[in-house]
Amino acid sequence: MKKVLSYALLAVGGIFFIYPFIWMVSASLSPEKDIANLILFPSQFVFSNYAQVYEKIPIVSAFYNSLFVALSVTGLVLVFSSMTGYALSHMYFKGRDALFYLIVFTMSLPFQLTLIPQYILMVKFGWVDTYLALIVPYVISGLGIIIFRQYFKTIPKDLIDAARIDGCGEFKILFRILWPNAKPAIITVAILTFMSSWNEVLWPIIVIRNEKLMTLPQLITLFAVGGRAESQLGVKLAAAVLLALPVVIAYSIFQKYFIDSMASSGLKE
Amino acid sequence: MKKVFLGICMSLVLLLNLSCTKHGAGEYGKVLYWSSSNTDEITYARYVVEKWNKEFPNEPVTFQPVPEGQSSEEVILAAVVGGTTPDLYSNMWQGDVEYYARAGKLVALDTLPGFNEFIYNRCDSAVVEEVRSTDGHIYQIPWKINPIMMIYNKGMLAELGYSKPPRTYSEFLHVAQVIKEKYKVNGYPTKWAGYAEVQVTWWQRWFDYYPLYLAASGGKKLVNGNKAVFDNKYSVDAFSFLQTLYANNYFPTDRLSSGRDPFLGGTILTRFTGPWEIAHAEKFKPDGFTYGFAPMPVPDDFTGEPCTYGDTKNIVIFKTCKSPQLAWRFLKEFLEEKNEEKFLTITNQFPRRKDLVTNKLFSDYFSRNPLMLPFAVQARHVIGPDICPVLKEVFDVISQEYEACVVYSKKKPAAAVTDAAKAANLVLMQ
Amino acid sequence: MKKKSKNLIPYLMITPYLLHFLLFVSFPVLFSIFLIFHRWNIISPMEFIGMGNFSRLAQDSYFWQSILNTLLFLVIHIPLQLIVALAFALLLNQPLKYIGVFRASYFLPVIVSGVVVTILWQQLFGYENGMLNRILMLFRVPRIGWLTNPNVAMPSIAVMATWKNVGFYIILFLTGLQTVPKTYYEAADMEGAGYWAKFFYITLPAINPTIFMVVVLSTIGGFSLFIEPYVMTGGGPLNRTLSTVLYIYKQGFFFYHMGYAATMGVTLTAIILTVVMIQKKFVEKNS
Repeated sequence: MKKVLSYALLAVGGIFFIYPFIWMVSASLSPEKDIANLILFPSQFVFSNYAQVYEKIPIVSAFYNSLFVALSVTGLVLVFSSMTGYALSHMYFKGRDALFYLIVFTMSLPFQLTLIPQYILMVKFGWVDTYLALIVPYVISGLGIIIFRQYFKTIPKDLIDAARIDGCGEFKILFRILWPNAKPAIITVAILTFMSSWNEVLWPIIVIRNEKLMTLPQLITLFAVGGRAESQLGVKLAAAVLLALPVVIAYSIFQKYFIDSMASSGLKE
Repeated sequence: MKKVFLGICMSLVLLLNLSCTKHGAGEYGKVLYWSSSNTDEITYARYVVEKWNKEFPNEPVTFQPVPEGQSSEEVILAAVVGGTTPDLYSNMWQGDVEYYARAGKLVALDTLPGFNEFIYNRCDSAVVEEVRSTDGHIYQIPWKINPIMMIYNKGMLAELGYSKPPRTYSEFLHVAQVIKEKYKVNGYPTKWAGYAEVQVTWWQRWFDYYPLYLAASGGKKLVNGNKAVFDNKYSVDAFSFLQTLYANNYFPTDRLSSGRDPFLGGTILTRFTGPWEIAHAEKFKPDGFTYGFAPMPVPDDFTGEPCTYGDTKNIVIFKTCKSPQLAWRFLKEFLEEKNEEKFLTITNQFPRRKDLVTNKLFSDYFSRNPLMLPFAVQARHVIGPDICPVLKEVFDVISQEYEACVVYSKKKPAAAVTDAAKAANLVLMQ
Repeated sequence: MKKKSKNLIPYLMITPYLLHFLLFVSFPVLFSIFLIFHRWNIISPMEFIGMGNFSRLAQDSYFWQSILNTLLFLVIHIPLQLIVALAFALLLNQPLKYIGVFRASYFLPVIVSGVVVTILWQQLFGYENGMLNRILMLFRVPRIGWLTNPNVAMPSIAVMATWKNVGFYIILFLTGLQTVPKTYYEAADMEGAGYWAKFFYITLPAINPTIFMVVVLSTIGGFSLFIEPYVMTGGGPLNRTLSTVLYIYKQGFFFYHMGYAATMGVTLTAIILTVVMIQKKFVEKNS
């Protein structure tokens, strides 16, 4: 009986979390006047809301901007974090432990402290309204370093020592030996980094003013807040659906990895 | 892995190159002009620029609309910060100019040959003083205005038994009460005397408090030097009037549905708006719908011609301009009276000239567009924003008190105005 | 013994990190400390004003209102988060079918952008026709101004934030619950302990570290609120949903008071650290 109750409660919970999304998709497909009465499915399916979004804002270029930025950040984070993680796990050098504590300390630094000076840095470098401003501040992830360090530590030292004796260069060891054996770490860091880069919105709002370079969440935010949606709910919701779509698609394919990644990120904290 | 490393380096170099696309700012012998992104203004700009380039092919002027962003203001600021400003910009809000002038980003126009003669020819001396900076120089040319007036539904007014629109606060409130009693269903009002956005956005006050204040006070300033000077009975009267409108539900606090224009749909009697309303109204008005324009309501003891706010936009020359003389010559052409007549016709916005009503060149336009005449007459008594580098913040502070007092009735008007002045002084002290 | 040349390689490996740290951590922190004593609007030269920013901050009612708003948010969000996440984690900590489906559904709001959630809930909270008010009207309960009533607005945002993030904390709690050795429960069963006794004396203490982590992460999240008020309310009504980050954004990137905004950033950081430390002391006392 306890089980039946559990199922019931879980199901109700599930509805709480899923129903708003269903409503959102339905509303985006309804004519404007029907939204006030909408419960589950629209009385008629219209695509005009989506057409309007496409007309009013450069959503495709924003999508590509987000993709380019997120992929670049993820790639660079993977490379740099694994490099640092490798150094921290299998190399010995002065200040190694101090560096580790430094990384942990930096991770707990709230962004509110660094936000303004970081912007000023972008201005002084002339990186405002460029991809550089969106990518470079994010190429190092403390969490990524820690995850790689943790994982590399589980790789037998002997394997690495053997490679060193064979005359293998350290970079070669990292990319030819460690990477193929660290797939779970790579996937975790990749997913976490990609997602947080994709969803990042405050920073783009600050450093990007040129519409051609705006990222997808940034463009949709400004669309929702500014007047261009002209208070048409359906259009705003259509924009939101478009913003959610890429992540939801990725999620449905890689679901297990997503959840596992987030779980391990929590553990590392 | 060496390849990976190389790959990373190459992509970084690529990224660096991608980022280095700066627009040609400040080139010698040429002028770059940024217009606003308003389609009509773009049409006019194209017309003048093409005319110029035909006549002076060796001194080319190029123009482009201000790049798209969340607001043109932001884009300009970003351009100033990044050093990518155009030579000429025509859409600068009068309230922003002092900010850039103090930072040394604008050319002092009165140092250009023939400027003083030109500007006194163009504008009243009162207007010239209005745009003179605190250091005595003039950094902007008054370009265009859109006076804020009250549009009213003639048919609905007649239905209520009035032949003239309300002139004073009392008259307005009286009409509002008649509307409230006459049009309701199940105790809920179906029509209102007017509608104004209750948003706290700082520039929203250009359409409610600020024109009322200017009308009531005869054009007094908000800010003088480093002090807020709006803490007076005119502000209190305006706040009081607006608060009563919302408290008695003469103006709705809920957003009226976006589907149909509430004014053209006969839901509201009046609206505080500008000349742009005419084009919209003519296009969408139902058959038999008639409307007119009247000045902003004034306190009961007011006498004379009411002033109003003019949403003044002006032209500036950025210091990055390498050929200010050339820019100035083009500017004179841009503002030449025959061209301005074209501007008036194309954009339906008024050049800020003292001869707007008297110049025969423009009379043809007014005979074709009689609905614009009230605005032209009002244009003689239009006030632009004060010279103050933090005017935006002053408006923001006023908007906060506006919300508390007018929209939520949590403060008495006198207290709200005093608090606003206190907060404004805090801002001005910076 | 390692050869001399090999000793340089580790430093090469960590060079990207060190460069990044220099540029994006140490410079910002140091520059912050410098900036807070100056007035600067980017396009004019910097002006030294000593403690000017701090005296302005002390009189700035909007800043302190934003801190109050955040505390109100946390007071509602944290307990709600703890109770809901723990409840669902307990429910999911049984051998059930379709666990994957349930987990997927709770997790969906987590991965989706905050912007999507905000736009969606702005409609659900709508006064005229929002789903929540329609449900109320169905039960003949008068409508609530979820986002327009100054007293209700921030709590509404707190509830929405819970909806968005609880999936993540469910996973955390699940992981925590699964580390509790089964032998503890078996021993308790043999002593005849009931469900609630087991819960309070075994489960809760065992997941104390997880609880602490949830509290700290939620706290930091609360002090970082930006996109929700920015999109849904603009900080109103009556500045009751003004978050500190939103206010910093307004001062720094709308009015370009760089020195003042940096001052607020530093002060906010200090407040966050203080709050977290208080929470840590509280947890340590009750361990």
